[in-house]
Amino acid sequence: MAMKGLKIKDKHIRSLANLLSGPKPILYHKEDLLAYDCDGFTIERHLPKAVVFPKNTEEVAAIVKYCHENMLPFLARGAGTGLSGGAIPLNNEVVISLTRMKKLLSVDLENRIAVVEPGFVNLKLTNSIADKGYYYAPDPSSQYACTIGGNVAENAGGAHCLKYGVTTNHILGLELVLPNGEIIEIGKDGIPDSPGYDLLGLLTGSEGTLGIVTKITVRVLKNPEDKQTVLAYFDRVEDGSQAVSDIISTGIVPAALEMMDKTAIEAVEAAAFPVGHPRDIAAVLLIEVDGISSGIEEQISKILKVCKSRNVREVKVAESERERARWWANRKTGFGAMGAISPNYLVQDGVIPRSRLPEVLKKINEISEESGLRIANIFHAGDGNLHPLVLFDARVPGETERAIEAGSACLKVCADVGGTITGEHGVGIEKREEMRFVFTDEEIVAQTDVREVFNPDNLLNAGKLFPTPGRCAEVKKELKASTS
Amino acid sequence: MNMKIDEKILQSQVQDTPCSTSSLSNYFEKDAPDEKKWADCVHCGICLESCPTYEVTGQEQHSPRGRVHLIKSVAEGKLSLNEQFMDPVFACLDCRACTTACPADVEVGPLIEEARGQIRQAMPLTGWKGMMSKFFLEGLFPHHERLNKVGTLLKFYQKSGMQTAVRKTGLINIMPDHLVAMEGVMPKVTQSVRKKYKHEDVIKAKTETKSEVAMLTGCIMDVMFGDVNDATVKVLTRNGNDVTIPKEQTCCGALHVHAGDREMGRKLAKQNMEAFHDADTVITNAAGCGAMLKEYPELFREDPEWHEKAVEFSKKVQDISKYLYDTGYEIPKAELNTKITYHDACHLVHGQGVRQEPRDLLINIPGVEMVHMPNADRCCGSAGIYNLTNPEMAGAVLDNKMENVPEEVEMISMGNPGCMLQMAMGVKKDGRNQRVVHTVQLLNWAYEKEDKKREEENEWQ
Ligand SMILES: Cc1cc2nc3c(=O)[nH]c(=O)nc-3n(C[C@H](O)[C@H](O)[C@H](O)COP(=O)(O)OP(=O)(O)OC[C@H]3O[C@@H](n4cnc5c(N)ncnc54)[C@H](O)[C@@H]3O)c2cc1C
Ligand code: SF4
Ligand code: SF4
Repeated sequence: MAMKGLKIKDKHIRSLANLLSGPKPILYHKEDLLAYDCDGFTIERHLPKAVVFPKNTEEVAAIVKYCHENMLPFLARGAGTGLSGGAIPLNNEVVISLTRMKKLLSVDLENRIAVVEPGFVNLKLTNSIADKGYYYAPDPSSQYACTIGGNVAENAGGAHCLKYGVTTNHILGLELVLPNGEIIEIGKDGIPDSPGYDLLGLLTGSEGTLGIVTKITVRVLKNPEDKQTVLAYFDRVEDGSQAVSDIISTGIVPAALEMMDKTAIEAVEAAAFPVGHPRDIAAVLLIEVDGISSGIEEQISKILKVCKSRNVREVKVAESERERARWWANRKTGFGAMGAISPNYLVQDGVIPRSRLPEVLKKINEISEESGLRIANIFHAGDGNLHPLVLFDARVPGETERAIEAGSACLKVCADVGGTITGEHGVGIEKREEMRFVFTDEEIVAQTDVREVFNPDNLLNAGKLFPTPGRCAEVKKELKASTS
Repeated sequence: MNMKIDEKILQSQVQDTPCSTSSLSNYFEKDAPDEKKWADCVHCGICLESCPTYEVTGQEQHSPRGRVHLIKSVAEGKLSLNEQFMDPVFACLDCRACTTACPADVEVGPLIEEARGQIRQAMPLTGWKGMMSKFFLEGLFPHHERLNKVGTLLKFYQKSGMQTAVRKTGLINIMPDHLVAMEGVMPKVTQSVRKKYKHEDVIKAKTETKSEVAMLTGCIMDVMFGDVNDATVKVLTRNGNDVTIPKEQTCCGALHVHAGDREMGRKLAKQNMEAFHDADTVITNAAGCGAMLKEYPELFREDPEWHEKAVEFSKKVQDISKYLYDTGYEIPKAELNTKITYHDACHLVHGQGVRQEPRDLLINIPGVEMVHMPNADRCCGSAGIYNLTNPEMAGAVLDNKMENVPEEVEMISMGNPGCMLQMAMGVKKDGRNQRVVHTVQLLNWAYEKEDKKREEENEWQ
């Protein structure tokens, strides 16, 4: 055993260490734990009790079982790129890090499926099958680092999800460790649509509150025969968003349709992957179409026509794969690029009806002025998923609070125009309260009832996803149940 | 905490850091990790996968994001400069892959070096490690004559039969594993160019002179890899460059800075800047040294006068492959007929942003077939003397690297002597039969072959 010989005072840490193999499989010194006090959401910070690094499903199950028996709170963590605080140990949890379960277990191209361990990094899947002409469609901008386990938990989306769907549309089977340590399998052999309840659908996007995913069967796709990418600059946001609606109403379903506003452009141009966007434009659109070669030219010419009819200042088609890759790197590193113009950012994740974009942006602008904080906007325009990025400096007293308020106000705007509060980043800690913008207390209790079936003691990732009033109602219900 | 406060530093801090958290900070005031650098990190995690130590451990404190977070935590007074902080900071390979990956351009490498400087101030090395470090870093590397003596000893060791004796008698069995591995791949010691061209102030271009360049020979490089240096001189002179080898030059200081000895780093830097004062172009063929020279300004953040000099100096530094590519060179005519692959030395690709130029130099040699190496820009684990100080991690990183090195090639080319030694170990460990070479060596061989062919043809005529 790797930890033998070490004198560990804490009994639980000692026991947990004994359940694990591999070099240094548990962290428990404050200095090491500090690195786990938050994920991509940095506003709340809490130290875990310990971080464990299981090597296989059995070790995960043993850890979970131990925690369950000893009433220790615990949670799963992938790469920790989550933006809503899902992997933050609010209750001094034992963090189960899945980064050492990172194998690609099998690829079956004939049936177009791949089986991965949960810590396998998203982009690596595409990289491993690209030479055979295949890819994995969900492509969150964090795909360089985030894990497929984390993607399942958050039901991650990405630029190309407009045409191909989000994570849930690509998951065919899961192996899961339930909060009592039991191992179950759902969706065997990658056969879609098995009879009975759609448990895969329920688990995908459950934000790590129902069980710990230890194996994932995913669908992989054949590369499109051809693709083309267009960049279009607009002087007015209204024109840009009208162009988006027009493109979709021509009947074209672009593979991706992305927009960035002026502040976002300032950031990406100041950061590591600039492409030379003019600084004085109001909006840039990045449009990609793919499919069989013969249809592409026609789609591109339609798109160019639409852009021109909406007063585009400049529009160009990528001339090489290199150029296309540069445009995408510039867009995909957009969040991180905020570091180049601001010490901290808080990214929001609203969904709105596309047609309301100009109005929503105007309101967000007002929020920015009122709070005195700059707000950049990155937008999966095709499916109406808006990411306002509130820029702030946590070192300035009061700014963090103002940023949180501004972020929340942005979500309120989205909910008010008939949209919702998260498209892909999840609720986590961050948007618990905002759940009330879209659900009544009863609706929330109905959901926590479902959680209770899987996670009755609420030891797994407690305090996430639902607002406190929901919890109050829940406690009342628990009391009622125990007295009756 | 005992704080050494220097008037001059205080002044420059007042100018540079408007929003200082120094009241809480657990750092020494002098040369503390730069707040402006860590404040850029937005904790997005995009850098994680680029980091070889994260790949091996899966642990956040061994990732760029984790390291920056810990460095920041010391500045915020949440952590102190202790052993637990030291481990992640010193386990970093200084490979700079994170710098390339980070969208916010966070300078993780320089931050880590600054943090190491702090740790060394707080906890000077003592005991065996301290002695070793003093011996190599202070007693040996900066002194060319002493290094040469070691070179002569090594040559003696290899030629006298002592090497065979050590191996046969089992003396080798009592050496630590990683030293045995290294002993096994030590290059044949050849002649140092500083010795060879001792009497020439300028080594004249073989053709019409286009430019004049000065060459950094490197400390160990010149002793252990004299043939690479010689190839560099030949390739330069063949392509119209007059080459000078300033006598006052010394070790670049990279090893000292990596080890946290920034004082010594500054001393060496000053000596080199003076030695190369008259040169317009400073050529390096060791990526680690080149990157260090280019980063001299980092060492003088708190000394405006030297900082300015360092900025000027750093602009003159060029890696040999980029220099040849940019200024034009003669494409060899002879065919080498070999299958090769290329490994990006970290300090060339991530440290100096040189990626395509050496590849082009190689591909342009007739008869060279280049086989793609996946993750070519992944560290091999050499990282200066990291393979001596952290043998376990270095070994794990090397194993990951070797998985990506194509089996079918005859040679693996690269632009850094440290990598050459480490990769040679990897080749040996894997039981392969591949040759590890420097890019300029291949180029020079092609030239030599061409010359030989021409001579033979002349004989026939
Ligand atoms: C720069 C940047 C860009 C981003 N872009 C996008 C984007 O375009 N689209 C998008 O959808 N998201 C995006 N995200 C958010 C984030 O990357 C995704 O939510 C991702 O799916 C998280 O994966 P992870 O491995 O980092 O998970 P973590 O952050 O470690 O965890 C996220 C949640 O999943 C749970 N979890 C993790 N692994 C498991 C498991 N094996 N079993 C059960 N629960 C688990 C955790 O408990 C936590 O609640 C972005 C983030 C960043 C920093
Ligand atoms: S160093 Fe760069 S890539 Fe890494 S977390 Fe910080 S901002 Fe993101
Ligand atoms: S320099 Fe290399 S080892 Fe160090 S943190 Fe960056 S990527 Fe990791």
